[in-house]
Amino acid sequence: MAVERTRTAWLSQFVFSQSSLQDFADCERRFQLRYVEAQPWPAVQSEPLLERELHAERGDRFHRLVHRHQVGIELSELAPYAAGDPDLAAWWDAYLSFVDLHRLPGQRLPEFSLVTELEGVRLVAKYDLLVLEPAGGAVIFDWKTYHTRPPRAWFESRLQTRVYPYVLARAGRNLPGGPRDASSIRMLYWLPAFPADPVEFVYSQDRFEQDEAALSALLSQIRQRLAVTSSTAITATWPLTPDERRCRFCEYRSLCARGDVAGIAVDEVIDSDFDSSSLLGLSDVEEVGF
Amino acid sequence: MNRSRFIEGPAGSGKTTAAIEHVHALLRDGVPAEQILILVPARSLGTPFQRAQATPDWPPGAPLDVVTLGGLARRGIELFWPLIARRAGFRDPLREPRFLTLETAQYYMNRLVAEQIRSGVYDSISVRRSQIIRQTLDNLAKAAVNGFTLEEVEARLITAWGDRHSSRPPVYRASVDLARRFRALCQENNLLDFSYQIDLYARHLLREPQYRAWFAGQYRHLVADNLEENVPVVADFIRWAWDALDTALLVYDRDAGYRVFLGADPSGMAELADLCQEVEHREPAGVSETPLNALSSTLAALLDGARVDESEPSIEPGLALSVQTHRFFPQMVDGVVDEIAALVEAGTPPGEIAVLAPLLGDSLRFELIDRLEERGIRAVSHRPSRALRDEPAARAMLTLMTLAYPDWGIHPPVLDVADALQQVIEPLDPIRAWLLAQIVYRPGSGSLGSFDVIKPGMQERISYRSGEQYERLRSWLLAFSEDAPTSPPDHFLSRLFGEVLSQPGFGFHADLEAGRVIAELVESARKFRQVLHPDGADDWREPTREYYTLVQEGLLAAQYLSSWQMEQQDAVFLAPAYTFLMRNRVVDHQFWLDVGSSVWWERLEQPLTHPYVLARSYPADQIWTDDLEFYARRDALRRLVLGLVRRCRERVHLAVCNLGESGYEQRGPLLQIIQRLLQPQASEGDV
Ligand code: SF4
Repeated sequence: MAVERTRTAWLSQFVFSQSSLQDFADCERRFQLRYVEAQPWPAVQSEPLLERELHAERGDRFHRLVHRHQVGIELSELAPYAAGDPDLAAWWDAYLSFVDLHRLPGQRLPEFSLVTELEGVRLVAKYDLLVLEPAGGAVIFDWKTYHTRPPRAWFESRLQTRVYPYVLARAGRNLPGGPRDASSIRMLYWLPAFPADPVEFVYSQDRFEQDEAALSALLSQIRQRLAVTSSTAITATWPLTPDERRCRFCEYRSLCARGDVAGIAVDEVIDSDFDSSSLLGLSDVEEVGF
Repeated sequence: MNRSRFIEGPAGSGKTTAAIEHVHALLRDGVPAEQILILVPARSLGTPFQRAQATPDWPPGAPLDVVTLGGLARRGIELFWPLIARRAGFRDPLREPRFLTLETAQYYMNRLVAEQIRSGVYDSISVRRSQIIRQTLDNLAKAAVNGFTLEEVEARLITAWGDRHSSRPPVYRASVDLARRFRALCQENNLLDFSYQIDLYARHLLREPQYRAWFAGQYRHLVADNLEENVPVVADFIRWAWDALDTALLVYDRDAGYRVFLGADPSGMAELADLCQEVEHREPAGVSETPLNALSSTLAALLDGARVDESEPSIEPGLALSVQTHRFFPQMVDGVVDEIAALVEAGTPPGEIAVLAPLLGDSLRFELIDRLEERGIRAVSHRPSRALRDEPAARAMLTLMTLAYPDWGIHPPVLDVADALQQVIEPLDPIRAWLLAQIVYRPGSGSLGSFDVIKPGMQERISYRSGEQYERLRSWLLAFSEDAPTSPPDHFLSRLFGEVLSQPGFGFHADLEAGRVIAELVESARKFRQVLHPDGADDWREPTREYYTLVQEGLLAAQYLSSWQMEQQDAVFLAPAYTFLMRNRVVDHQFWLDVGSSVWWERLEQPLTHPYVLARSYPADQIWTDDLEFYARRDALRRLVLGLVRRCRERVHLAVCNLGESGYEQRGPLLQIIQRLLQPQASEGDV
């Protein structure tokens, strides 16, 4: 009974996101370790560590600059923050030349989240920028600061491409201008290193229904996994991915006996942008404790 | 403002439930969730709101923005930094700020304090380096949350000291001087510790018209819960935001205020009621109808100085209490464990039991956990922190670190090497680990010799399998010396863990607890690198050594299970009493340990700072007298005891130990109050 309580409590607290669902799709064991057991495993995820970190930081700075611009800080105040780093400066220039975005009319919601319920659990989408067009349309922008441009099929296969428009269609009830029809939603991946080559997906009612079925199936699978786990022991091991290439970029490789040295990849395209803020979603800074 | 309401009442009177219902009603009326700001004093106190939005009837939309003032300040500074950096006087305003944690702030201050310690200015008080650093950071935080300058902090501390012996004022001055130099260092390097974030937010960002416009466009509704635990600058913030809001709901617990030590200002926050159109006073449901309610009202009256016959309980309050008295400490622990086992046997879920003490030392914590586990009862413990170097897995990593960096000249004793080998080489028992360490380790040079050259008989005794693993580890450490100049400390620790120690056959392979501890070590090393060496290093060996020294000095704290993980477990909860209160959790049974101890009545010894004097409501020119100390302690005890009783559903179990650790009979103020409650005819003490 105690285990049952734990499982129910976990499900009721956890907020599913595209990245946690992607983890489950990639490797059930990784999902179990990262989210269900919240098990830290301090091995190197991928090499070279410092370069990868620098690249991620540059991506964060780009996101922050765009956010600042979208909340109305003057360009003249922002420009110096992009200078000094050639990559960032180039991305920033590309952003400033992104006329399709700047000319798009409508209310802008930068760094905006929506949560909806599906299969009795919560599902969150964190948008880099959501533009609510006056005519009732909505455009989701997602900045991908990759060095390489993955093919459209790669984006299409990512759960983010399903989760983001789906959550907007379901949870946008209280948005300014009212709920959005699935057919009025577009999602655009924009890569500042490849500014002329965005990847766009136009949403539809059909696609909404397919996504709902696919996401529900994934969530039911997770529920089933949890049920089986709880009827045996909470630590029973979930299946390891059959694709061992993934393990090269996964910090649990030693725990799973799937190798010792981390794979080499600067981009996160190999990816798992693990979302550590999924639990409870509080995003505060540390506070002075007792 | 369309509607503003102030709800006040004690714990259990449904205030937070009313606040959640208020938020729910706003959402039902079509208010977008992103327009609602929920302000709490600590993240743990935001949990009820997070739980509420997980219920099935909660409307879809944006997640609730449940935030502390610190969180709001950090977010605001991060986003609007270009607007304030220049005006706030940072040397390099075009560079992004770096946010310091408590831990990384300590690293920096550690660099400044050495010179002061050498000067002997702290010699008149018995205080460790880490305490000087923490209490100085505390002075900075108190200044920020009260809106004081550092000059005011210094003046208040010295004035309150009065004409007691003269060694203390120089100590206060030294701490404030350290704070000033730390602040200057932060300004020079765009570093923002907690206090600087609050200061920048209050003094600069809130005065920035663009921030005000953004805030007014973003938030239309404010809910501030547990106001009594919040700091004066939060009241300033609420007044600042007030006119731009459509609704506000302020919630206040009149008997709480447990965070006075962190700068909470219960009386100042109560004044916010004057802003509100409606003020609602609440009482607990069914007041005085249960023994526990009778117990809390009787205790309140006694702690206010009333006589028992004046407190008029409608029901016998002793019915909610059980008392067990023992002569010695171990007997008391036995008695508590027996009683818990009986409760669990009778069907009480372990998660409905809390064992509380004013301080929870390691030995008591481990003893209780072990004894409960012997009876098949799970227990989890929460202490705020403990030094990371005290965790065995972290110790082993640090020992191996010194072996990987022989040029530091730090050569650990054989015993440490044996301990590390025993932990990381799976088949080694302590005796073989000791044998191996004695043979292969050369303490003079800090180097490890090869297993292959050991005599075959001894190899056999140690076992070839262990030898193989030892050789693998040794080769890795030797090979690492090539990479050492280019590897920061976190990289070294991660690689050693991932490539060797957690591989199959090694000691940490499936050791999840070691994984947790070492993850914290790696995280602390990563923060150290990012904050102290943001531009990298030509050679990482020296910074790695600096990191090692900081860990050894105990400046790194290990965190325990997250609150979420703790609360999911159906386990007896062991915690210091204040920690339990700040979790705002209600249980069926509470055990109060060692109620005869005067520690229940004492406050933390902090010779460099003062929680009561560094408060906006305290007169700047007043001396802190023994009378004031007495009343402050009595008030703190009252809040503590009432807070605990109100978070109990069935029974409070008191454990008394007649003889304290020093062998003297214990009769602390809490015990005196309890005795007066149970035996009204007994002579009345002086509390
Ligand atoms: S190492 Fe491989 S099998 Fe293990 S969790 Fe990671 S991806 Fe899954």
